[in-house]
Amino acid sequence: MRRAVVTGIGAVTPVGLTGHETWQNLVAGVSGIRRIESFDPSDLPVQIAGEVRGFEPGRYMDTKAARRMSRFAQFAVAAAVQAAEDAGLVLSDAERHRAAAAIATGAGGVLETIKETDVLREKGPERISAFFIPMMAPNMAACQVAMRLGLRGPALASVAACASGLYSFIEAKQLIASGVADVVFAGGTEAAIHPLPIAALANMRALSRRNEEPERASRPFDRDRDGFVFSEGAVVLLVESEERARERGARVYAELAGGGLSCDAYHITAPLEDGSGAAEAMVTALRDAGLAADEVDYIAAHGTGTPLNDAAETAAIKSAFGEHAYRLSISAPKSMAGHLLGAAGALGALAAAMACYEDVVPPTINLEHPAPECDLDYTPQRARRRTVRAAAANGFGFGGQNACVIFRKYAP
Amino acid sequence: MPSLFERVRDVIVAQLKVKPEEVTPEAHLIDDLRADSLDIVDLTIALEEAFAEDAEFQISEEDAENIRTVQDIIDFLKAQGVPD
Repeated sequence: MRRAVVTGIGAVTPVGLTGHETWQNLVAGVSGIRRIESFDPSDLPVQIAGEVRGFEPGRYMDTKAARRMSRFAQFAVAAAVQAAEDAGLVLSDAERHRAAAAIATGAGGVLETIKETDVLREKGPERISAFFIPMMAPNMAACQVAMRLGLRGPALASVAACASGLYSFIEAKQLIASGVADVVFAGGTEAAIHPLPIAALANMRALSRRNEEPERASRPFDRDRDGFVFSEGAVVLLVESEERARERGARVYAELAGGGLSCDAYHITAPLEDGSGAAEAMVTALRDAGLAADEVDYIAAHGTGTPLNDAAETAAIKSAFGEHAYRLSISAPKSMAGHLLGAAGALGALAAAMACYEDVVPPTINLEHPAPECDLDYTPQRARRRTVRAAAANGFGFGGQNACVIFRKYAP
Repeated sequence: MPSLFERVRDVIVAQLKVKPEEVTPEAHLIDDLRADSLDIVDLTIALEEAFAEDAEFQISEEDAENIRTVQDIIDFLKAQGVPD
């Protein structure tokens, strides 16, 4: 079977405007959570978020192209261009039909829907932008990446709520293993910071209300956690066939070893309490990767900081990894970056792949008093050096969708 | 007070993301300023909004079809009563 490897990273997140800056700040335990600046949040119960600050789309695309993209697509294009540059990728025209984009999202261009709904109500139908549909549609991040980089193979856009970003890596591995593609830009993107979704998630009691201490609000696995922090951003990794990467002498960060998917088939928002749906995805991923449970040294957890998730995920890890669950390192990238929703799984994938490359596990910041039901090693407060032979990334979405993707240290 | 041409030019620059010096009266919106059919729709909306206080008008689809150059826009606006 054809193997798949990661040769480039790109990201635009609350903790960095590039893939490498994002990774360094995850390892350093830098929080990207602040009081909301893009609008006045004073009348909302939740006034904090992980916003991308200082993003300049003009560095990655021309201004006319940028004007035709919603923010979620701009983020994805920027991250994909970074990944291509990081990998030193040059595509010949003959290769383009074997180059693919798999860019997932949770909500697509929901910001455009909100904006144009206001135009419709206030100014009438004749003032609706002709760009509304091609900016709003959730497939547009994948298609804009394809347009920007000239990728003429499949353009895929999975929608799986907060598990979305990991679906792309399962697609990437399948595209490469099956011989359909040699190069896949895989990742996730989200840009939905607006009072509407924040009000809705606040009313669901899903979000932290620690408005006075933004940097301490995202505290997965901690006794005093009170919900996740809404964030935005994109993460795109360049996944290449091992053969192509080897032939061109590319630097390989990690092998994309396998993945597993499942659905709880249980509840629209709550996970199965025993974590059995999530465990099923992890067990399937191990089998797909051809790894024993005790060969995995790190899990980039879904770790949202909601009471339900962290308990169920802990139970799921124990169920899937048995006694080894107590020996592996776990951490929650969301403790630094907040919850990037459709990009969250891709941020976990970046953490897992880079952990294999650098033998370092990023921390779970704000983990001061582990909750009694969370009794594994979540790498509290500080990064830890350890050999990482293989690393998993978890992502679970509303609707009960579960995904787990496993990377392993690359050996030719 | 900027001239009508200057005001039209500013709307075109903002909408089509072209350089101000590219916007001449003779410039063709599609051939020279690289607009596509979607750009033209949003450009007409932007013109209606930019000149709403000068005259009461709407740019119909038929009007839009006859607008090909920057000068066509200026002539259309003058015909609606927008001062030069």
